[in-house]
Amino acid sequence: MNSMIIGKYVPGTSIVHRMDPRSKLIMVFFYVFIVFLANNVETYAVLMIFTFSLILLSRIPLSFIIRGLKPIFLVILFTFLLHLFMTKEGELLYRLGWFEIYEQGVKQGVFISLRFLSLIIVTTLLTLTTTPIEVTDGVESLLSPLKKFNMPIHELALMMSISLRFIPTLMEETDKIMKAQTARGVDFSGGSFQERIKAIVSLLVPLFINSFKRAEELATAMEARGYRGGEGRTKFRLLTWKTADTALIVSLILLAIILFILRS
Amino acid sequence: MREIAVSVENVSFKYPNEANYAVKNVSFYVQEGEWLAIVGHNGSGKSTIAKLLNGLLRPESGVIKIFSTELNETTIWEIRKRVGMVFQNPDNQFVGTTVQDDVAFGLENNGVPRDEMVERVDEAIRLVKMEEFLEQEPHHLSGGQKQRVAIAGIIALQPDIIILDEATSMLDPKGRNEVLETVRDLKKKQKITVISITHDLEEVVKADRVIVMNKGEVLTQGTPEEIFLLGEQLEKIGLDLPFTVKLSNELKGAGFPLTTDHLTAEGLVEELWTLYSKM
Ligand SMILES: Nc1ncnc2c1ncn2[C@@H]1O[C@H](COP(=O)(O)OP(=O)(O)OP(=O)(O)O)[C@@H](O)[C@H]1O
Ligand SMILES: [Mg+2]
Repeated sequence: MNSMIIGKYVPGTSIVHRMDPRSKLIMVFFYVFIVFLANNVETYAVLMIFTFSLILLSRIPLSFIIRGLKPIFLVILFTFLLHLFMTKEGELLYRLGWFEIYEQGVKQGVFISLRFLSLIIVTTLLTLTTTPIEVTDGVESLLSPLKKFNMPIHELALMMSISLRFIPTLMEETDKIMKAQTARGVDFSGGSFQERIKAIVSLLVPLFINSFKRAEELATAMEARGYRGGEGRTKFRLLTWKTADTALIVSLILLAIILFILRS
Repeated sequence: MREIAVSVENVSFKYPNEANYAVKNVSFYVQEGEWLAIVGHNGSGKSTIAKLLNGLLRPESGVIKIFSTELNETTIWEIRKRVGMVFQNPDNQFVGTTVQDDVAFGLENNGVPRDEMVERVDEAIRLVKMEEFLEQEPHHLSGGQKQRVAIAGIIALQPDIIILDEATSMLDPKGRNEVLETVRDLKKKQKITVISITHDLEEVVKADRVIVMNKGEVLTQGTPEEIFLLGEQLEKIGLDLPFTVKLSNELKGAGFPLTTDHLTAEGLVEELWTLYSKM
């Protein structure tokens, strides 16, 4: 499970790493729609070229991505087979008893699989090349117009960043509590269903109580350092829109246009 | 004549729904540039006083002044910039995802322009000697390092007063020294007033003045020497004496003609060996 790379960040200095999170977020958002423009061999070829260019630019080894997406390949294989067997259009290519494969089935299977693969790779590239806190900043910045409608965007972003900051802390704490409870004779690895529930409760209760205490202390510390909501606040982390970001968006528009022209 | 950095006059405070006052009619002052230690048993109201000093809690009665500015609704944000607080738990006051983000947090809150913010963050981090760890995430830092980052976050706001509320009590001896060295160093370089709430007697020994709290009231105040002379009285309200003070008391009890109580090991050793060479 550890080789799974969806949601992970791989440090690097490639051009994709250095891009503004906002351009990457915009790209992924629209890419989800744009892939549906592809419907023939040419358009899917263009889609694949685009996807692999992005991988090349990110300097993340292809083998690393393939290894990390292994569990996804199962899903893709399943969709491929489903389309292969269920589509009964076009020329009959192969028959074995009731088992038939049609030309359209192969085509549909390959297309859908490629579409899925491309989507997964592009979204994964976003998280592989962008730290979670950059994603948070990007989301906050992109959604900031909604502040006018009294949407608590700053608060949501702060919640996200504090959660990110506390995930490792809480993991350590979970580990500590588990060890402490194991020392008291709680068995986390086996036992009947009821015993397991009991073990989990013995873990969750102290974890929750401590978290509330943490939250209270953190709120006090934040207040002591002058926190009073998003109003009048400046930001330390800076998002800078560079030429590469404009280039990314332009290439996305070009992609859409090309797909639109080539599609049948 | 030094200015009065903090003055507390007849301040009382009660937590909502509590029967007893957590702080009862407390008065004291702190001079500019002074290092004041506050000691007292658990629940004697030390943290409550600290929180009253920068407006995290509002007194029920009495007046608190920071450099002759009275603490009230309108001055509270200004005063929070001037009175920095370091709390006990290193993890629960680390807000940012990295060292520099955390140091910047207070500046962001106060709307400091970004260019100035970058400079002040760098300078503060240099002052606490954490420049190697700029981009580091908190879970890769030791407790002492996290507390130094907390101090940097406060220094960046250019405060006049730093309050350490048992800031070293969760640290190992190495971390404790790191943090105390950092504060001493700062005090030398800048005119900072330090109020340190502590159970650590070494910290008390090095303070300029000590306030002893008991059940929400100021029991007594004085220099560390004066305070430790109280001996039994301190032990009665649940406070410990430094090892050297206990030892010199015992030695005197056993008939050795020591001249004073000794707060430091060096002082005691010095007198013991001169005494020995006289015998
Ligand atoms: N949030 C709160 N709500 C109600 N009562 C409180 C609260 N915090 C503290 N108290 C009570 O107020 C009194 C003083 O507490 P305070 O935390 O100031 O003591 P302290 O001297 O800092 O103790 P310690 O050495 O344990 O930190 C105690 O009796 C405590 O139970
Ligand atoms: Mg306390």
